[in-house]
Amino acid sequence: MRFSEILNLVRINLIQNKFKVLLTSIGIIVGAATIVCVIAIGKGGQADVADQFRNLNAGALDISYEQSEGSSGFSFGGSLPSFSGGSMPSFDGGSVPSFGGSGSSFSATASKESGSSDGSSRRSSRSGGSGMPSFDGGFDLGSMFGGSGEVKNREKITLSTEDMEDITASVPGLSEATITYTTKQNIYGGNIEETESYTIAGTLSDYAGLSNLSLLFGDYLSDTDNENKTKVCVLGYSAAKNIFGSAEEAYDSIVYIDDRPYTVGGVLAEQGSVEAGISADEAIFIPYATGIKYLTGSDISPTITVIAEDVDNIGAVAENVRSVLAASYPNAEFTISDAGSKMEAANKSNRTLTLMLIAMASIVFIIGGIGIMNVLFVSVKERTQEIGILKAIGGSRRDILLEFILEACSISLIGGIIGVAMSFGVSPLITSFSIRMEMSVTGALLALGFSLVTGTVFGFYPAWKASRLVPVEALASE
Amino acid sequence: MTDQIISMHNVCKSYKMGTEKLNVLKGIDFSVDRGEFTAILGPSGSGKSTLMNIIGCMDTLDSGSYSLNGIQIDETKERDLVKIRNHEIGFIFQNYHLIPTYNVMQNIIMPLLMRGEDRKTAERDCREVVDMLGLSDRLKHKPSELSGGQRQRVAIARALCSKPSLLLADEPTGALDQQSGTEVLRLFTKLHEMGNTIVMITHDMNVAKWAERTVNIVDGQMYQ
Repeated sequence: MRFSEILNLVRINLIQNKFKVLLTSIGIIVGAATIVCVIAIGKGGQADVADQFRNLNAGALDISYEQSEGSSGFSFGGSLPSFSGGSMPSFDGGSVPSFGGSGSSFSATASKESGSSDGSSRRSSRSGGSGMPSFDGGFDLGSMFGGSGEVKNREKITLSTEDMEDITASVPGLSEATITYTTKQNIYGGNIEETESYTIAGTLSDYAGLSNLSLLFGDYLSDTDNENKTKVCVLGYSAAKNIFGSAEEAYDSIVYIDDRPYTVGGVLAEQGSVEAGISADEAIFIPYATGIKYLTGSDISPTITVIAEDVDNIGAVAENVRSVLAASYPNAEFTISDAGSKMEAANKSNRTLTLMLIAMASIVFIIGGIGIMNVLFVSVKERTQEIGILKAIGGSRRDILLEFILEACSISLIGGIIGVAMSFGVSPLITSFSIRMEMSVTGALLALGFSLVTGTVFGFYPAWKASRLVPVEALASE
Repeated sequence: MTDQIISMHNVCKSYKMGTEKLNVLKGIDFSVDRGEFTAILGPSGSGKSTLMNIIGCMDTLDSGSYSLNGIQIDETKERDLVKIRNHEIGFIFQNYHLIPTYNVMQNIIMPLLMRGEDRKTAERDCREVVDMLGLSDRLKHKPSELSGGQRQRVAIARALCSKPSLLLADEPTGALDQQSGTEVLRLFTKLHEMGNTIVMITHDMNVAKWAERTVNIVDGQMYQ
């Protein structure tokens, strides 16, 4: 029998049993819709991660220091943002174990020397080591946890541009380096009637390039601005809108930070929410030195960001940074976080979630497939006499097998098409719950492919049973 | 040499009923000449349906030999029996055995589709038979929309359109009222006069009388 004629018989049978086809394909409809939605949510998650990390460079290492309150010889993690999943790599340097959940951390141990020209307590002289105070009751937790008994991070250390220059001079394989800090300050100006608290970021001129920031109006801060400690600022998009009503209005206006007037030299384009680093939309950027002079004095906790030339070499760069800092601060422990690992971890957790959802969708498909198989078995039973007639008048096993398999495939394909259409229908509902979805043709094709495979696999056995029926017995069936 | 369509010698067939062996056909010798209209007459349980299944190549024989239009059926594999059923035999069943989801034309052309013809050619090839049986205005109807007599005419059309060597009818009037039954038997006579070979199985003496020749089957044995 010609394939086209078998298809025509399948078409006739499906049209004659529309309601049954619809009921049979419900499992496939749900499965296909789930697959499309799952892939869309997965892609949406990846896009979210990409957006949230777009101000980070994959080769970036953030170096920061946090003064310890309790002094126990070990740290409970740094101050970096935390990511779900907790699977980030941890590089422990020195003898002090690093506990804690957030970010990749590299620890450096150093003693301190005091005194710094820019207000930071650089290379202070006090050292840790023996004789460090232990806990009441005679416990020395530092020793207990494998440390040397030294008390870390009790001293105030402020990372400085000199530290940054030390690192760039001594660590090979670095392409760029910058230093930033943030502080909260009251500001007014523009449409603001009462002062409001904003995040002020002190940055160098290269920060915009390093963080992939683009400008809507004006220019970013320059080296001259920093050298002259000019009172100039760049506003984040949301900050500009909040203060002045629009980015255009904000440009070249005056905003008062801690009662001092700053000229708005530029307004950033909208960056969206970020998972790590400074949230650029809400922040006000000023020259690094200007901030120290007029706003913070030495009371800052800067972060040095270095960019490794080769992302694959980031572990070695981190080791070298640790060594350079250990030479300057032998009794201090720095948190060094690796942006690439953060991105990878976030992507990994996203992929895990996607795989889990795909596994769920597969289960739905299997259930749908079993449904098809059951209905086909009933169908073969119901149509035993018809199969007998076809065999009596010359229908071969191949014809019968093909007819039933194609019927199963068609049912599942119809289910797949309805499911895909349904997924596009429900996507606005899902996105209304703040779940980002990136609908894709790949997802739709994959769902249809899954549907077809399910129909073929689960339809085969009933079809095979039908094809093996003995004509005389099939004809005699009631 | 006689031109025999069916030639059976010492055909035996038995079935297992639990632990017991039931001998249904006990050494049947039976032949049908080309163009002959033969009735096989027998009561219920005599083995006539089993004989029909063997003649129709839908069941195998245990022993003996069977040749249909020169083809040695007892030595033929199932795959080839499918082709023989399609090309050599036109089945007419008591309960019509039409496919309920297909319309009249789709039912009629089915054997031609089975042998690989396309639909348009098959419909053209069947047009003459359809006209002869007066089904032209019923082609789009489903079997459920037809009377018993009309359904049996559709079954006869399906059997005829493949131009088989043998028309094999199993109780063709069994499900019909007397008038419809008579119409069908008149049609058989006409087909016989047109040169078709017909083997009709029946338990009804009055039906058997319409045939050119009647053979009796009783308890698995044939009496000419």
